[in-house]
Amino acid sequence: MTTTSPTVSPPSTRGADIGAFFARHPLIVLSTVLVILILVTGAIEPNYLSVSGLRGTALIAVPVGIIAASQTVLMITGGIDLSASMIATAAAYITAAQAENGAFVAIGLGILVGIGAGAANGIGVGVFRVNPLIMTIAMSGIIFGLFSSWAQGWLAGSTVVGEFVRTIGGKSFLDGNIPYAVVIWAVLTAMIVGMLRYTGFGRMLYAQGDNAVAARLAGTRSWQVLLIAYILAGVLSAIGGILLAGRLGAVDLRLADGLLLPSVAAAVIGGTSIFGGVGSYSGTIFGALILGVLSSMLTFLDAGQAAQQILFGSIVLGLAWLYSSITRRT
Amino acid sequence: MTAISSSEALGGSQLRDWLRHHGWTLGVWLLLGALVVWYSTLVPSFGGFELSLIVNNSLPIAFLALGQAVIVIAGGIDLGVGSMMVLTNVVAAKYMEGESFAVAILIAVVLIAAAAILNGIVGWIINVSKVPDIVITLATLFIFAGFALAILPSPGGGAPGRFRWLFTGSESGIGRNAWPAIIMLALATQVVGLWLVKTRNGLSLYALGSDPTAAYLSGVRNSKAKILSYAIGGGLAAMAGLATTALTGSGSPRLSIASTATLNSVAAIVLGGIALTGGIGSVVGASGAAIVLFILNPILTARGVDPNSARVIQGLLIIFVLMIAGVLEQRRQRRS
Repeated sequence: MTTTSPTVSPPSTRGADIGAFFARHPLIVLSTVLVILILVTGAIEPNYLSVSGLRGTALIAVPVGIIAASQTVLMITGGIDLSASMIATAAAYITAAQAENGAFVAIGLGILVGIGAGAANGIGVGVFRVNPLIMTIAMSGIIFGLFSSWAQGWLAGSTVVGEFVRTIGGKSFLDGNIPYAVVIWAVLTAMIVGMLRYTGFGRMLYAQGDNAVAARLAGTRSWQVLLIAYILAGVLSAIGGILLAGRLGAVDLRLADGLLLPSVAAAVIGGTSIFGGVGSYSGTIFGALILGVLSSMLTFLDAGQAAQQILFGSIVLGLAWLYSSITRRT
Repeated sequence: MTAISSSEALGGSQLRDWLRHHGWTLGVWLLLGALVVWYSTLVPSFGGFELSLIVNNSLPIAFLALGQAVIVIAGGIDLGVGSMMVLTNVVAAKYMEGESFAVAILIAVVLIAAAAILNGIVGWIINVSKVPDIVITLATLFIFAGFALAILPSPGGGAPGRFRWLFTGSESGIGRNAWPAIIMLALATQVVGLWLVKTRNGLSLYALGSDPTAAYLSGVRNSKAKILSYAIGGGLAAMAGLATTALTGSGSPRLSIASTATLNSVAAIVLGGIALTGGIGSVVGASGAAIVLFILNPILTARGVDPNSARVIQGLLIIFVLMIAGVLEQRRQRRS
């Protein structure tokens, strides 16, 4: 499997040059795919190529993109968060239940849920070395169980989010052209990309995923790095869930279920390695946008749910294959 | 399990050696035994009905865990097994409805073979594309669930009574005869387990999972071993689907069933002592752990715990067990 032939400089043909160029700049391939998908969708439904059409896609992409940010950060450390959708749902649920206490209390408590669940994941993975896949599957079950019984108890009440949350989740400004959610996503993007590229913590995340032993020997405290990474992921998932609830207006315990696998897929399509050490959030954003356009396209095609699932899976498979065959050249 | 009696005759160091290799599996089955005993004290009467309730209902997830175990031992992971189960369940329920027993068996055999071939192709795609298993099978999770929905748009279908008896000991799916399910599961576990450790092909899966380069250098055809692991995993997922058909008497094409089943299969194999990094663990532990995961529900229900809290306790238990395992592993590494 891993028998790599000794590096031989390929014959300098035009094709190889182009391949090498794409291999060094995979984002160009992703953006090309995105543009092609947008044009194809536009060919299916001409009205799509308008501000309102693209805004719809952007609004679909925002929650996936933000939850995918938590997957990106964790996948870089060699982990994954399969409780992301449940954290998002729980945060949104609290935000809705606390709607009467004002938007800031509601959102603050929602994010607190993300911090708590993320910290629990981080302690399990970082301190007790539980496999992240299992830790987060179990956490997802725990959160679902807790909220199912709480929803009939002290959380029974409002399942509608407040006006402010609905504004930031689904409304737009500048004559309704630019959604607030997109601005929030842009700000978060700047913070995440900056953190991953320019801070010591960002480099520690890559080091942890690339070679945990080497990272430890170089002096990083891996349990602290992992704990903070999982808390950060919890907060991001919570924000994604609150924005999703804002777009939809109301919450239920299955709110973000459908976002879990797309969030992983977005990170993977964007070139983040599931084995850790490799990846960037800019790639993930393209992944989320591609999935957003795709879901708009499938809606316009009026394909049944079955065809949607098959197409969605096939395209994720195809893109991942394309990406790996391009970047393997380097 | 049969090795326990023979190990008593062995010397102390051999016993310690045996325990080091099989201690976790033994622990899982002891835990299961304790849970069954506990459950029997909780219900007014513990008989064939209660026993078959446990075994029948854990049959699908146990088969699925067996399939996942084979794939993970070979160093992969298949998030699509749940969808393969749903797909088989749906096809079986659609085409078995109103048919005779013989036709149902024929359909079952064809389905197992088809699922093995289909999942073998998934393994082949992983080989060729060099995309991580988890990504490819994330895609097949959607694709197979989509096929299932296309074949049977809404829940329905059926299965002949005798076919249902084969998996559940009752023509209606609920009865007091637990033997068919027990024999079915024990047989599958033993056959897969022995094949893995006694045959050339089976051992090549362990070799591939523990170190692909070393396996390649010692003559294992890695790509073949990979395809084989996925094919067998797919066949066992089909068994899980057939068991579901027998148990429920209908087909249910929902993606949420598929993803929940997949996650449960992963939880079961890890609890069963199979390392997600590949090459370590036994399928005997995996099938035991699948029943452990299931039996918690009736126990907690009998204790008067509501189903939601039961999920919380189940999650906490998984984490707790693995935390202990994690701490033990860290201590062992520090000592060596």
